[in-house]
Order: sequence, then structure tokens, then C-alpha cells
Amino acid sequence: MHRYPITCIIPPHMLKEIVRNGTQEQREFAILTLAASEQFRGQRHATRDLASVLSFALAAGKERIVYDAQQGSKLPGVPVRREGDPATADPAVNEAYDGSGLTYDLFSEIYGRNSIDGKGLRLDSTVHYMKGYDNAFWNGQQMVYGDGDEDLPESQRLFNRFTIAIDIIGHELTHGVTEYEAKLAYFGQSGALNESMSDVFGSLVKQYQRKQTAAEADWIIGEGLFTSNVKGFGIRSMKAPGTAYNDPVIGKDPQPGHMRDYVNTVEDNGGVHINSGIPNRAFYVTALEIGGYAWERAGNIWYIALRDKLTATSDFQQAANLTYQVAGQLYGADGAEQLAVKKGWAEVGITAGSGTTPTPTPIPTPGDGCLTAVFRSLGLMRK
Amino acid sequence: MSDLRIKYERTGGFAGLKLAASFELDDLPNEQEEQLRDLLDEIDFFKLPVQILPARPGIDQFTHKIEVEGKKGKHSVLTTDSAAPEKLRELIDLLNIVARAHRKKN
Repeated sequence: MHRYPITCIIPPHMLKEIVRNGTQEQREFAILTLAASEQFRGQRHATRDLASVLSFALAAGKERIVYDAQQGSKLPGVPVRREGDPATADPAVNEAYDGSGLTYDLFSEIYGRNSIDGKGLRLDSTVHYMKGYDNAFWNGQQMVYGDGDEDLPESQRLFNRFTIAIDIIGHELTHGVTEYEAKLAYFGQSGALNESMSDVFGSLVKQYQRKQTAAEADWIIGEGLFTSNVKGFGIRSMKAPGTAYNDPVIGKDPQPGHMRDYVNTVEDNGGVHINSGIPNRAFYVTALEIGGYAWERAGNIWYIALRDKLTATSDFQQAANLTYQVAGQLYGADGAEQLAVKKGWAEVGITAGSGTTPTPTPIPTPGDGCLTAVFRSLGLMRK
Repeated sequence: MSDLRIKYERTGGFAGLKLAASFELDDLPNEQEEQLRDLLDEIDFFKLPVQILPARPGIDQFTHKIEVEGKKGKHSVLTTDSAAPEKLRELIDLLNIVARAHRKKN
């Protein structure tokens, strides 16, 4: 599944040339080789240096277009803001532009990923989709946002526009990443994992924007989406699933935060937006336990699991086992990170490292000397 | 007394909130009632397949279940945002408006 095998057959001076002068795909290979190898070893100071190389080398990779559906259903609609264009007078357009940009930045700068497909795919967003459309979705090619229930009298409105919360934008874009990587089937537990991955990285985009640690973050998904007519602070809570809203008109947040409360249903593709509360909380507990910025180690473990380990039919138990395995490979067996992952899943009633799991495939890592040589040749190391 | 009864349920979507309404066509405002009757005739609702679903489930899209009960019997159709043909989509849009108006009374 991993498309960029890490190898050091290419000599450092050539890698350097590739990063500077190669084709998009060649550059990416070289960059990802560097990015991945550093992530796997969890060397923070080197990663920071690497980030500057990445932002230089991948600058050409970020390309966005925001379209306006003008309340119709035809996609993508009329282009209204392209990459590099100044802000418009329309907040929905600017939110879609900025939100997809920041999501791109998180994946690029922190995980070394060039866009949704890893190959610089242009990020297309459409706003003002239909009338009274209280939803946002990823249609396999682009992100689509409704305006909520703008067609109702103000006193009856429940939803604001769906671009209002940056984690919704990160959520939709992550569906794209999942489609190119683990391809988690959108039903039952694999579907709930698909949803959870979108909430995890959506929330990380918000935390990355606010520069908040796991302890400082609110872990709310879709804050500000409800109007003041609704008794609720958001759509979902990763910290305390089931507590995001409790309202006489729309009812109570149905999310479970533990396996004992798992909801068996055929609705919502087998409860994908309901049972995602369980892996959501597992991630929250893991991130809190590790401490610091959640997008660093906790996010990296989840990202590598999504990219290299999870498959279309993975269930919660396998996700627990695989994130546990990845944590051990990245940061050491029985290290603080791996124990944090174990605790995260234990809190939701799943024992990581038990049950049936696919045979582990080792994450390849380059030799020390090779990597050091590459960094030295790029001028990133002093001696 | 009423000749047609509709049960509509919308599930899924980013927020995962269920929207449901059950009503007699007679009880709707005249304009809505007429529009719904016309659309049901136009798409020949009772002859539609029971399921009009995409090959793969639409990510974060709504699933719609429409059940109509009348003299001709009872028929239900399950579909999604992207899979519904244009005219059925119009029916869904109208049912959404009705269902959201019902929501505040519940």
C-alpha cells in the first residue's frame, strides 16, 4: 500500500538535485523519502528543518479553486476564487479557500503529504450548494458545502453555513485522503473509522490553526454550525461523545464513547456518524496522554496507520491493534506513545494488541548514515 | 378521509441528524399539496424501484426513504442525494421543506 518505498540507493547529491529540479513526481519521491524517514524516527528538531525544505519544495503543490453553485445542484459551478486570488466579499468562499489551504498545510508540513492523493491534486470546493441544504460532503472529486437552512425564517433556523467551522473543511478533505489510502468501506465499523479519521484530522487542522495542545483544545467538531436556536455547542465531541447537543427539536447527540454503548443500526450506513464516537474518543485519550500538540505524535501514528496499515474492511479492533503496532514501530515498543495508544483504546473498551490482526508489515527505515548524508548535502546539518 | 399519506425519513449527512415527518397530503398548504401530487404522478412513484442507490455509498451524503400510502397500496423508495434522478430529487427537496416545517412542532 505504501507507494514510496524508502530506500537510499539514490546518492545524496542526486536526491538534492531531484528536490530542486526534478519533475513533480520525482520531487515528491525525494521529499517523501526524507519526510517519511524523519517521521518514523520521531526526531523533532530535524522535522522542523525538514518543514522548511518541504514548504519550499512543495510550494507548487498547493492549488485551490472555490466554485459557487449559486444555490443550484450542478457541480462544480462557477469558479470564484483561484489559487493566489485575493479574498472576496463572500465569507463562504474565503472560508472554503482558507480552510482547504490550512488542511493542505497540515498534511504537507507535518506529514509530508502533497494534497489528497499525495501527488498535488487540486483542491476543488463548491459553496452555496442548493437551497436550504444543511450538509457538506465529499463526492469523490471535490468538497461541497450547503448554506444550512438559510431558506427558513431566522427563528426556525438550526444551521449556519457549513464552511463556518474549519474542522468541517478538514473533515471533508480527509475523506479524500482516506479514499486514496486505506479506502475504509463506508458501512459499519470500517465506515465509522472512515468518519473518525475525518474528525481526527479535521480537529487537528483546527488545533494546528490555533496552536493548541491536546489539553487546551476543545475537541468539538462543528463548533458554530448550530444557530443560537439549538441547545448545543457543536455536532460531535471527541472528548465526551454524546454530549455535543441536547435539544427539544433535534434531540440528543447519539454518539457512544464506549463499546458497551455501540449502536447497531442500518440507518446512516450502519451508524457511521454515530459509532465514530468510539474511535474519536480513543484518539482524544491517546493524544491527551502523550501530551503536547496532538498533530505531532498522536496524529502521526494515526496518519501512518491510515496510509500504510488500515484496509477497506478494518474494524475497531484492527484499528486498535494497528495504531498500537505503528506507535511501537515509530517511537519504540512499550514507549510512552505506545502505552498511550493502549490506554486510549482501553478507555473505550478495546484491548489493543489482542484479537485477530493482519500480519504486521514492518515500516522500512533507512540507515542512519544515509539519511545524515542526505541532510548534510541539503545544508540542513552542520557537521 | 385523506387519500395519500407520506412518511419521509432522511438519515446520514455530516451531522448524522435524522429528519423525519409523517403527514396526510390533505393537511398541507394547498400549493405544497398540489406540487407533491403533480410530482408523484410525473415520476410514477408507485412504479419506481424500491432502491435507487449508488454503486458506492456517498460520503456524508443524505439517505432518503420515502413511503407513500394510498388507494393503490403502499410503496417505498430508498435513495441518496447523488443517486436520485432529477424529478425524484425535486420531490425530495419539497419533502425536506415540509419535514423541516413539521420539525418545529414536534
